Amino acid sequence: MESDGNNIEKPVREPADKRSELVGMLLLSFKKICHSTLKIYHNAILRLVFRKTLLVILIISMVLFIFSWFIYIVPYLQETSKREIAQLPIIAESKNDIAYKKQILQLGKDEQKLSRKFKAYTPGQSYLVINTTDNRFSLYQNKTLIRKGFCSTGSYTQLTNSEGSKQWIFKTPKGRFWIHEKITSPLWVRPDWSFVEEGIPIPPANDESRYEYGVLGDYAMSLGDGYLIHGTIYKRFLGMPVTHGCVRLNDEDLEAIYNTLNIGSKVYIF
Amino acid sequence: MIYYAVMAVLSPGRKIHAINNEYSYREPESSKTDRRMFSDSIFVSVNREKSFYQARVLMAESDSICLSLNLSDSTAILEIEGVAVHNAKISEITVSKVFNKADEYSVTSMRAIPFTIGNDYSTIRKEPLMIKLAPKDTSEYKPDILPDTASSEPVNYIFEMTNGTRLYVYQDLGENEGDRMALYMFDLKDRLRNIRYNLKSIINLKVPEYHPSIKISLAKADAKIIYRALPRHGLISVFW
Repeated sequence: MESDGNNIEKPVREPADKRSELVGMLLLSFKKICHSTLKIYHNAILRLVFRKTLLVILIISMVLFIFSWFIYIVPYLQETSKREIAQLPIIAESKNDIAYKKQILQLGKDEQKLSRKFKAYTPGQSYLVINTTDNRFSLYQNKTLIRKGFCSTGSYTQLTNSEGSKQWIFKTPKGRFWIHEKITSPLWVRPDWSFVEEGIPIPPANDESRYEYGVLGDYAMSLGDGYLIHGTIYKRFLGMPVTHGCVRLNDEDLEAIYNTLNIGSKVYIF
Repeated sequence: MIYYAVMAVLSPGRKIHAINNEYSYREPESSKTDRRMFSDSIFVSVNREKSFYQARVLMAESDSICLSLNLSDSTAILEIEGVAVHNAKISEITVSKVFNKADEYSVTSMRAIPFTIGNDYSTIRKEPLMIKLAPKDTSEYKPDILPDTASSEPVNYIFEMTNGTRLYVYQDLGENEGDRMALYMFDLKDRLRNIRYNLKSIINLKVPEYHPSIKISLAKADAKIIYRALPRHGLISVFW
């Protein structure tokens, strides 16, 4: 007698048996639910709780449906509303038509012309880009990035004097600027806000206390309206918005930029 | 509710009609154009590029910081007088189907003119001004506290263009649940605002105006840079 485990006959269950078992289970569950419902129905308190719960669920569902209807369903319907695209028929012969080819060619020429015009806006000479949100700069020469690093720009502070009669906003202006002047060993002439900020009485225009040497670094480049690109003694603040509107750089970057940019070079600040 | 839905569903059709009417091809008296070429694939692609350059040249001639969105290569470029000053990668793009349903030539012509920002809604301030009162004398003077440069605030905003289009800019969502919640609330506020607007029109027995949208997702830092750089009524050109 040769027999192994594989040869033992297992009782094969017919799918019909499985189905009847499932139906039986469902019927049983249904009976149980009916039974509990009847129980609830016969108990006045449970009946009240059941009704109230049902009402609350219904109200919540209604509110959710109305909410979804206005917030999500209608906008979805708007986006999916069908409308046929008005398409013109494509006729193969038209592609061989000379007038047709000419028009396509003209369009291509117009596009090329515009593309050349647009590309010509980027200066071939050196220019500087300053990002006031991240406090970073990028220096370009011959349309290639040659140096990038940290800088400090306007702090967005609105200073009001103690009497409340005057206000200053310390922000770096945005847009396209150009180098008006290149200065070596710049001297800082302290403006009025510099005294107001420290609670010092404002001195006369040419008072000695207005002149400070060495605080702007070795070089400065004027952008007009009193705004400068200069060095700083507060190097730990580079990369942060802390200035009164000028652009501060560290000594090495300042020197590189000073040597690369000329009077008239463009500075783009955003 | 049904009336609201019917009126709202009618609005995209009106918008398509309006775009087709406003920007459709107007034939010059001197020459005749074979309109069949408007559906030629070469014409369509060259015309799209031409309109993008047209819009960018117009922006370059303005004295302003502008935004160029190239949706086909997923880039957002900040430009000042035609010079690209910042490039950002767009991670997600969704464009209203209305633009595909309207006439191709009309939509391209619409894009040849830069979109002007009319209004904006944002989770961040355009200019984060800090108010400071000057000390009365030196004894009251305190040196400035270092600014908080950690960007914890979520960056999501909507530019409502004067031509009715809306540009939604969302920051990329990482693992931060707070950012997800902030975006959900921001989106919900926008939807509620739209409902209020739609209801106003519907009460007056008018079909509400539909606003086709362009939704993009950017890195948080890029989204912030673009929002802060663009002026209140900045210009935007779009290519796809």
